[in-house]
Amino acid sequence: MLIAIARRILLSLLTLLMLATFIFVATEIMPGDALDVSLSADELSMIPPERLAQMKRDLGLDRPPHERFGAFIAGIVQLDFGRTLISKTPVWTIVGYPMRNSLILAGAVLVLAFPLALAIGVTAAVWRGRTVDNVVSTGAVIGYSIPEFVIGTLLVMAFAVAWPIFPATITALTRDPAATLLAASPLAVATVLIGSIAYLARLVRTGMVDALASDFVERLRLTGIPEWRIVFVHALPAAIIPSLTAAALYAAALVSGIVVVELVFAYPGLGQELVRGVTRREVHVVQAIALCSATIVVALNLLADLAILALDPRTRRA
Amino acid sequence: MIRFLRRLARRPLTILGLLLVGGHLLVAAIAPWITPHDPLRLLDAPLEPPTAIFWLGTDELGRDFFSRLLLGGQISIVAAASAGLIAAIGGGILGLATAYHRGLFDDVVSRLVEMKLSIPSILLVSLFVTGFGQSLGVLIVVMSLIYMMGVIRTSRAMGISLMEQGYVKAAKLRGESATTIVLREMLPNIADLLTVEFALRTSSALLLVSALSFLGLGVSPPTPDWGLMIQSGLQSIRSEPWLILAPALCISTLVIGINFATEGVADLLGLEAARGATGH
Repeated sequence: MLIAIARRILLSLLTLLMLATFIFVATEIMPGDALDVSLSADELSMIPPERLAQMKRDLGLDRPPHERFGAFIAGIVQLDFGRTLISKTPVWTIVGYPMRNSLILAGAVLVLAFPLALAIGVTAAVWRGRTVDNVVSTGAVIGYSIPEFVIGTLLVMAFAVAWPIFPATITALTRDPAATLLAASPLAVATVLIGSIAYLARLVRTGMVDALASDFVERLRLTGIPEWRIVFVHALPAAIIPSLTAAALYAAALVSGIVVVELVFAYPGLGQELVRGVTRREVHVVQAIALCSATIVVALNLLADLAILALDPRTRRA
Repeated sequence: MIRFLRRLARRPLTILGLLLVGGHLLVAAIAPWITPHDPLRLLDAPLEPPTAIFWLGTDELGRDFFSRLLLGGQISIVAAASAGLIAAIGGGILGLATAYHRGLFDDVVSRLVEMKLSIPSILLVSLFVTGFGQSLGVLIVVMSLIYMMGVIRTSRAMGISLMEQGYVKAAKLRGESATTIVLREMLPNIADLLTVEFALRTSSALLLVSALSFLGLGVSPPTPDWGLMIQSGLQSIRSEPWLILAPALCISTLVIGINFATEGVADLLGLEAARGATGH
């Protein structure tokens, strides 16, 4: 058991190290260096060579790649992502609060999505092949086939323009407390929620259909246990455990969705900083956002793995 | 074949999906010849309401909106389908190769797959756009890599069960090379799976491209594109809502069509398609 846990944790750390390496290579080595990337060709030609050399020294870009990589990793471990290239602000002060805000949005969505998806998925599986199931299954496909920004825009049209009961854009500030932020963004939460429920309910339904058709449930039915007990006490845990891994993987898709939805509603989260970072070519900001979100996803996957270890004795070997 | 068609006839949603996809592909293919006006010409009349000449009015720069709508899917479809195709074929071969060799090669590829699955697609594309600049080529390459990882996972699982098949063992005994066995013996046997993967990955790629265009990181103006059109339509959401509704309807019906069609066809082929869209 302890070995299995240690192995999972080590693998997660290895994945993170590979990610950091990959991010470093993708942004700092391939096409030139961070300075070439953040300045346009025009700007580069305007700067005298001595000044450019000085700028590179200031940023530590004159050092060989392996030394810079060492510094990069050392920085990450101390949660220091460096400073922006132009204004020299520490990256952490730019990314910190927006990251908290995105987590608040993600948390609110998940807290609502899990129980709703469970209820919908179980209902569809129990009445498999009936009208409820068909509506749920078809609705789920439609739900995740429509881009998040389209869902968001349609909700704005319906509930902020045609029937103005909610604000179209969010007026809350970056450093407002969580409650203020959430109270100001019902449509943003609803938008992400629709896609999440579509995905998760389908997952629950598939797991539940398999569980209800399995031999052990068949045997329980023969013993005369009431059907509701079979569904909730025996089949549901068997259905949820395998879907936990898939649900944790969904975290990556959730982050992508949140980034887009934040821009639709002007929510003060990572999405805005990301687009600003990419368009201004602030390499360190984009690196920090990518790394932090990936760390959260890796951590969630680890948690799902550990939960499965705790709940399902069969996985403890190996 | 006739049995296949008869079973297909009992699935209205699958037929609807195939019709939607077919219609969209047809319009995208012949769009350059049927657009009533030049999609890039600026008329001196921005945000005109729909008229007999300009069927959907003009956009914020005074360009014919209907013409732009007809052309608005082309770039996304080409980019998404190229990425889907590269991902399906490349991922299929790599997945089978890892199933064939196992060992260290398998471990390395599995770790790469896991790494990709932990980083949100939009962030991955953002990293590359920051590093290499915003271009369609970069977009196609990055999306191919993103979706290849998922295909590797499924085709590796299929490959492991294929390794137990008699014909693979026979080919090994004949002394065929690994390359021949993977490409000649195993690859044709996962053609069904790869076709479904191609369709699923293309629909995910379409969602990603349109989201990127909406963020201003995908297709660049003035090229007509649905994601971009929705983005610029937001300015006049109160007065000209059709500037948003029309492209929203186009992109949504295209992706819904692909997913309905894929799900139905995968089911008829006996493949497990319940995985659905695997992370946008």
